[in-house]
Amino acid sequence: MEVGYKIRSQPEYKGLSWQTRATAHLILAQGSGAKAVINMLHQQHSDQPITLLYSHKLGEEINCDLELKALLHLDQHVFDDEKMMFKALKLLLPFQYMGTRVYVAGSQEFIWAVADIVKAFGIDDADVIKELSGTTARSVYCVHCKAITYRATTNVTECIGCQRMLFVRDHFSRNLGAYMGLMVDAEDPGELPEIEEIYP
Amino acid sequence: MSMLDVKVASVEQVTPLIKHFTLIKEDGSDFPAFSGGSHIVVSLNIGGRVHRNPYSLMGAPSEPGAYHISVRKQEQSRGGSVFMHEVVDVGTTLQITYPVNLFSLAKLGRKHILIAGGIGITPFMSQIADLKRMGASYELHYAFRSPEHGAFADQLSAECGHQFHAYTDSNGTRIDLVALLSTQPLGTHVYVCGPSTMVAATLDTARHLGWPENHIHSEQFLAPPVGAPFTIELARSKIKVQVPAEMSMLEAIEAAGVDADFLCRGGACGRCELQVLESEGELLHHDHFLTDAEKASCKKIMPCVSRARCDRLVLDI
Repeated sequence: MEVGYKIRSQPEYKGLSWQTRATAHLILAQGSGAKAVINMLHQQHSDQPITLLYSHKLGEEINCDLELKALLHLDQHVFDDEKMMFKALKLLLPFQYMGTRVYVAGSQEFIWAVADIVKAFGIDDADVIKELSGTTARSVYCVHCKAITYRATTNVTECIGCQRMLFVRDHFSRNLGAYMGLMVDAEDPGELPEIEEIYP
Repeated sequence: MSMLDVKVASVEQVTPLIKHFTLIKEDGSDFPAFSGGSHIVVSLNIGGRVHRNPYSLMGAPSEPGAYHISVRKQEQSRGGSVFMHEVVDVGTTLQITYPVNLFSLAKLGRKHILIAGGIGITPFMSQIADLKRMGASYELHYAFRSPEHGAFADQLSAECGHQFHAYTDSNGTRIDLVALLSTQPLGTHVYVCGPSTMVAATLDTARHLGWPENHIHSEQFLAPPVGAPFTIELARSKIKVQVPAEMSMLEAIEAAGVDADFLCRGGACGRCELQVLESEGELLHHDHFLTDAEKASCKKIMPCVSRARCDRLVLDI
């Protein structure tokens, strides 16, 4: 990657911190994202009502239910998987007023799935407070076959749709919630750069 | 700046203080299309001095044959609105700029709350046409002094039905901003245009309730304030220009024959921004565009509304 080179579409995850001007807080967390929520709850207690939706993450051992329960005994909902949680979120959003701030902590995939849901309710992702947790693995959109390969950890990854070897760019699509992947050996088939894990 | 030559087709006294002017192109052709919330700048030659005042376009953007503006007579001002009221009549020719929109609707908003005070109703007249065309959910909250001052209130009531809410000072009805803004669904945008106290109260209330900045919209054109005369130096033009008490810096620069950029002439858009090369004394910033930090830095100034109390002020133009 070039020095001093930054793609503007690349998302920034600034970390969870209370928005002091708010009438309510809606926190969505997944797996180890709970740690970010616990940190925020330790910072200070908000004066406004807090609703927390927490989903376990498949294949992840971290389980913060009890710690969360101790910090926040009210309005807390734990789900076994994200699908159930997203269903609950969609049922909850129509009853939220302007002034409710949305926080999300979890994997890239999770953050942008939430951003997509709240966007349908008129909330721009710029107004969602985000914290990336657990892994920096990327969702990669194949610009050739349009398939999205999830959880790519390397600079070059194989597309699940067309098996092309894709170079994972920093260019990010908020609509797709994925980074762009371009065939890396189009000009010299089979000639691949060294594959390294750079998104652990 | 290229201008449009127009003729006044009709004038209607809407309230004791507000006149509605219908403008048509001098050559009879259609006007350029515009979007709801746009404004134009009207040039008025008053005793050899050119005044340029911004006015919101009111008509439906889908009717390109005429532009509609309304002007409130401001007795305490520098004469532009009084000239519009007392001199401009059917058949008068005027020059206007192409429309510019600094107060556009957030098209992806799920609901729109429009808050107007007095003459601040004008940009909403064209926005409502857009909202109705889009089939968008909206509410119009319109406050005015007393029934005879409620310009277009009957027309709006008929057009907007139960989405229209009127408040009159004389009846003691006021907009309860906290109640209004604390019960809006997610994805709502608020727009306010009116007196500065109303704009400030709306912005404060929305921010305090946690509305994100990009859901809060306001428009307020300032008239250039009158102040003590001062002198400016134009570095690139290599001339000194006197700014009289009743003229803005921008007008003085134009009167000196120097071509300066502008769009709104009301401290809102930032287009006329000039770099301050040197200053000795105080810059009197009046605009809504520069941040407080920028104002404090004394490096930039908006010549359309701001003034100075300076022994020396050198501008990069």
